[in-house]
Formats: sequence, structure tokens, C-alpha cells
Amino acid sequence: MQTENKISTLKMMNGNEAVARGAFEAGVKVASGFPGTPSTEVMDYTQQRYPDIYCEWSTNEKVGLEVAIGASFAGYRSLAVMKTVGLHVAADALGGAAGSQINGGLVLVVGDDVGRIAGDDYNDVRHYGNMFNIPVLEPSDSQEAKDLMIRAFEISEEYSTPVILKITSVICKTTSGVAIDENYTYEVKNRVKYPVSFSKVIMTTMMMNAKGSEHPKLTKCFNDFPAHMKRLASDSNDFDINKLELKGKKIGVITAGTPYFYTKEVLPDASILKLGMVMPLPEKLIRELAGHVEKLYVIEDGHDIMEKNIKDLGIAVIGKELFPKFPEMMRFTPDIIEEKLVPDAPKRMLMEGIPFRLPVSCAGCSHLFISQILRKHKIKASADVTCGLIGCFPHMESYSLQKCMGSSIALAHGYNVATDHKEKFVGMIGDGGFWATGINGLMNLIFNDSQSTTIIVDNSCLAMTGGQHVASSEFGFNYKPENKLEIAKVCEAIGVKDIVTVDAYEFENLEKAILNAVKADTNSVVIVEKPCVTKFKLPKGPLYSIDQDLCTQCRKCINIGCLAIESKKGKDGKVEIVINEDLCVGCGLCSTACKFDAINS
Amino acid sequence: MQDTGKNIIIAGVGGQGILLFSNLLSKYYMKLGYELKISDVIGLGQRGGGVESHFRYSTKPVLSPFIKSGDVDYLLSFEQTETLRYLHCLKDDGIVFSSTFELSTSSVNTKLEKDMPESKTELIKRSGKKTFIIDPDEYKSADFDISKMMNIVMLAIYAEFRGYAHEEMIQIVKENVPEKFVAGNIKAYEKGIEIAQACPPTP
Repeated sequence: MQTENKISTLKMMNGNEAVARGAFEAGVKVASGFPGTPSTEVMDYTQQRYPDIYCEWSTNEKVGLEVAIGASFAGYRSLAVMKTVGLHVAADALGGAAGSQINGGLVLVVGDDVGRIAGDDYNDVRHYGNMFNIPVLEPSDSQEAKDLMIRAFEISEEYSTPVILKITSVICKTTSGVAIDENYTYEVKNRVKYPVSFSKVIMTTMMMNAKGSEHPKLTKCFNDFPAHMKRLASDSNDFDINKLELKGKKIGVITAGTPYFYTKEVLPDASILKLGMVMPLPEKLIRELAGHVEKLYVIEDGHDIMEKNIKDLGIAVIGKELFPKFPEMMRFTPDIIEEKLVPDAPKRMLMEGIPFRLPVSCAGCSHLFISQILRKHKIKASADVTCGLIGCFPHMESYSLQKCMGSSIALAHGYNVATDHKEKFVGMIGDGGFWATGINGLMNLIFNDSQSTTIIVDNSCLAMTGGQHVASSEFGFNYKPENKLEIAKVCEAIGVKDIVTVDAYEFENLEKAILNAVKADTNSVVIVEKPCVTKFKLPKGPLYSIDQDLCTQCRKCINIGCLAIESKKGKDGKVEIVINEDLCVGCGLCSTACKFDAINS
Repeated sequence: MQDTGKNIIIAGVGGQGILLFSNLLSKYYMKLGYELKISDVIGLGQRGGGVESHFRYSTKPVLSPFIKSGDVDYLLSFEQTETLRYLHCLKDDGIVFSSTFELSTSSVNTKLEKDMPESKTELIKRSGKKTFIIDPDEYKSADFDISKMMNIVMLAIYAEFRGYAHEEMIQIVKENVPEKFVAGNIKAYEKGIEIAQACPPTP
């Protein structure tokens, strides 16, 4: 439709940026979701570049997906963005949408953190494709990320199904050229094909009573989703996003995503079936490749999902017996393919003994104050996935229990009911985790008469993913001061008996507040306030330094876990504990930890 | 175009401006009409974590976003512990540019791990590769600390080594950094040229 004034220019974009551009060109009206590495920036770019698209960070992934499902039913193309770990939270919502009537295209952009590049759990979103019988697309570079985004909406509408666009950390963080039509004009379409959209439970219940009925009141409730998926699987053999490149007869590879490019580079003579849609599989194309080559391999990032699905078709393929999956192999690299499939490839080894960079909190982070107090008083506590989880690492040992986003309140409650509240296990949670799902844990412990203590770290944003807004932030895409939620008020409304709010940097007050809360024989919440030092670039206080004459090198200050405190070998070879002037923000926590009065501003 | 393309790894720690560096360099190669793929693999996202950028430019379409070990032409490193992590990725005739700056690693600070007994600078020099060592302290003056602008300094050193037109690179810096930082960045760039001209390779 834009052919007349089309001016194509090549723009450098990373995968997240390209997906946002694809959403714009697809005419998306609503984008919702929840931040999560590596795909957070899909929303950021959409909101910054394309103001015509309604954007929101929802309270959690499930809510985000439900918003998109509602918008899709209204007839508008909608997307929900999250990481795979987030889709676990939203899985119930996806199950409800799968197999139901789709009006405006519904696409989930889901980030798989393959290879734990950003340190997350090893998940594979394609399992949801198998479980819910819905298509999954996977791009290999930024151009494809944009193109497949548009294609995903077309497939969603044509085959009446939600579609997952799987992007990996490599796709998200790799920049390459994307052809952009500078004159493209944003166009929203409204497509209301179905008057109702019901989950499968309604459809199947209706069918029990109404088998064979032609009554329109009944038939409008049915959506023949197995037929849609059968048709999609059959059509996929002719999709241009699935490319069969027949070359040599020795090696054939079925691949998708960035491993396609690793394969092409390492095995230039191999015949390749490159899948843009990894689910459902194009059976005819796979059989054609299998018939063409002596040995057929599958090279896929993540779990052995295509491999299993291909084997289910009765086609012999070599996969994990050669490339053992998690935990042996974190992700494909060109090196791994070369090592296994290129005879006599030279081996190059990493130098031994290079020290590891264990994650450390930013200097001045409020979490460091809390971790320090918990450790000092040997208070047992749980954490979720806030920045505070760094307190789990062995140099700090502030937390003994750590699980998923929003979990810490219920974890502590469970521990406390099991131990008859004798130990007072404390739940520590960030504001992001609190609003996401932690608030449910708090409501739960109140009406179940638990006396647990909860520490809520209010740093005014979702710090771990780069400072996105949460319900209690004073900024945001749709922010209005009158709509800001107050953590203390909500806790009060829920029925928490004892609520204290403290500034993190007032160490003695904070210490007292936590000790009082733990000692009290009622349920309690300590809200610890301090904006995220990195997001809000707080002004620096007076810098601290260590008096080397007084320092005994007991390393108590180092175990605070502050990035600014270093153990350094001087030019004379002597080790000194020093404070890095560039990194110190002057919060003063280290001076409270020193028993020898060696740290002063 | 005589140069058909190169593979570069840019390494350092969070907060050193590596993403800006690769962004500026990409603008240069784009102007020359090269195809590019740049993969910014960031660690856990915290300050002080390792940062690694795979930068590939070519006259032909670039395939893999990651450079295969043994295919790296240039290693540009802003921190010397990080330099050591990528030495094995270099081609036999690959070249190292490394700052002697070192951010101590948390696992050594907390005694979970022992530091390497040898001098890291010496290990780099003995790698058998052609090496340029840049000691930011050597060029530190009262009014100017190059360690804070190592990305721009490194850009100048690399440009000088490759024989690129500095005016064009400076123009790219001007177009892509916020106005209030332009003067400081240009000063850093000029310092970089000076260092490059004074800095002999080892061996």
C-alpha cells in the first residue's frame, strides 16, 4: 500500500528495536507487558518512537497479557511483551487465549535468555507452543525480527491463534541493518470477525449439549482450533519464512534463529532448512531435506524441542547426542559447531586462572544496608529476584532462601507456619516484586493469621531491568500523581498491624525498625525508602576513605558487597583495602561496619 | 575498497562507555558502505560486570553475530583482566590494544578466589601477539584524566593505527555525543592521537 512513495533506507537496529518497528508497521494499537531481560527494550522503543501506540507496563505479565487479549477482542492488533520466566506467570492467560477466536492479531513477544547471558534461568518459550498448540516464530537477525513481527500478526488473524515471537538475548542485543521505509504511515485497522471469544472450557461444555447443532447461538461459540493448526502446518511448507537451501549431500541441518548463521558460516557446503516458524513444523520440507543428505542434524538454541518434534514425525535426526543440552551446553556458538562437525578444527583454550566477576551491588544501593543489618543480627530472611538477591552470594550470605519474582513474602510465611513462628523468618521484597505478585503473599499472610515480618524496599522503580516504573513510582508512561499507589496505604488497607517507613541511609533508625518488627508478636511491614542510585543518579555525599594505619584487613567492609571497596595490590606488592573514589557515592555504610574506626569521610 | 572487513572484540567493564565506542565506530564503517553486525553481550547488567562487544564489518553480508575463536583481528580492551579473557580468540596475526586499567574482581576482593600471581600486563605482553599497552596513569594530568574517557581515546588510537581520517571520526563524535560533552570528547580524541603516535607496539 506504501509502494508509491517508498524510500527504503538501511537503519542499524538491535533486535528489540526492530521488533518495535515491526509492531509499528503492523499497525499495533496496544502494547502491554512486564519488563524482563533481554526483551524489556521492545516496550521502551515502542513507547519512545511510536507515540501512536498505546503502551503500558502492567503490574505483572499475566495482567499484561490479559490487557492485550482484551484489546485484541476489540478488533485491534495487540502485543504483550515479557521474558519467558514472565510467561510462566502469564501461562494461564495464554492457555485461555489459545484456541479461541481472535479478532485483532494477538502476538506475544517473549525473550528467551539463552546461555544465561544476563544471568537468568534456562528456559525455552517453545514449550508453550507445544503445550498450547500455538505457532512460534523465531528471527535470525534484526531484519527478520521486524519482518516476522508483521508476519506474526497476519498468521494470528488468518489462523485465529495467539502467536509467540521468540527472541533470544543474542537477537535482542545484536545490531544489524534493517530496511526501513521512511515514508511509512502508521495505519490501524479494526477487524471484528467474531462476536464472542471463549476459552476452550466454554466451547467444549457447549459441544457436549449441542453436538451437530446448526443453531447460530451455539455455533458462534465454537472455534475449530485443531483444524486451524492443521491448515497452518500444511501451509507452512510454502511459507517463504521457511527456507530450504539445498547444497551438499553430506550434511543437512535443520536450524532456526542465530544458530542459522553460525551454521552457514562454519558449514558453507551444508544443505540447510532454515525455519522462520519453528512450530508447527513444515513436514514436507523436512522430508525433502532428509532425502537429500546423508546425515541430518538439528541445531537449535535452548531445549531439544524441534528435535523431539522432528523425531515424532519418524524422521531420524542427530541432535542432543552430539550437542548435549543444558546443563552441559548453555547455547550454540560457531565454535561448538566447528568442534563437532569440522574435522581437525584447531582448538583454542581460554587462559587459566582469570578471576571471575561475581555480581556486586552498585555503591550506595539501599539493599546493601538491609543485607548488612540482616547479617549483623543473624536474622533469617528470604529474597526474590530484586537487586537485593546479590545478598545471597557467598561473600554476603544475608539470605538463605531465594526464589522467583514476588515470592519472598509467602516463602517467609510458609517457613513461619511450619516452625510455629518461633524463628520469625523475614521476607524481603522490592517494590517491583511487591506489586507484581508479592502483594498476594501479604494479603494471604494477613487473613491466615500469620505474624510474619516483611521488608519492602521502595526504590521507586524496577531497578534490576533498568529502572522501569511500577505502581508506586512518580513517573511512567501513563503517570498521573493522583493515580500513584502508596505502599504504606495499601499495606494498611490489607490489614498489616505494624507499618514503619524508614530512610535506608539512616542506618541506626533502619536497624531499630527491623529489630522492632522482628521482635513484635504481630505481623509487620518495614518500608525502606531510597531511590535507586543508578536510575535516579543521586547526588554524591562526602567520599569515604580507609586509613591504612588503622585498617587490620579484617575485610568486614568488603563483605558489605559494595562495588567501591576493593582489595588492591600496590606497586610494592602489598595488599591494601581501598575505596574507589570514582565509584564511592558517600552513603557511609562501610563506616558503620568498621570496628577499628578506620573508615571516615 | 581494499579492506574487505575485519572482526573486532571490544572488551571492558560496565560504565566504560563501550557501547558508545562501538556505536561511533559503526557510524564510520556505515559511511564507507560496509555491512555490519555488532553483538553487545552484557553481563548481569550491574556496574562493574564484564562487557564484551563483537564487532564485524565486511563488504559481504555478515553472518554470525559472534566471532569464532581464532577469527579475531583486533582486540580492543579497556580493562586488563578482560583482555586476558579474549586473547585466545585472536588470529595468529591478531593485534591487541589494551589499557592497563584494572578493576579488581569481586571474587578476589572477597577471597573466594585467588588473584593471578603474575602481572597481567606482562601476561598480555607475552601473549605472542602484537600488542599496544596503554597506561592511562602515564597520561594523567591535573586537568585531564584520560581513564574517564578511555572509549574516545581508544577510538583515536585505533583510527590512527588503521590510518583513518581523524576529521571524519571527530565529525562522527560531534554528531553523536550530547552537545555539552563534545569539547571534552574532542580533547580526549586529540590526546588519543598523541598517545598512539608515542606508543610503540610490543614486541
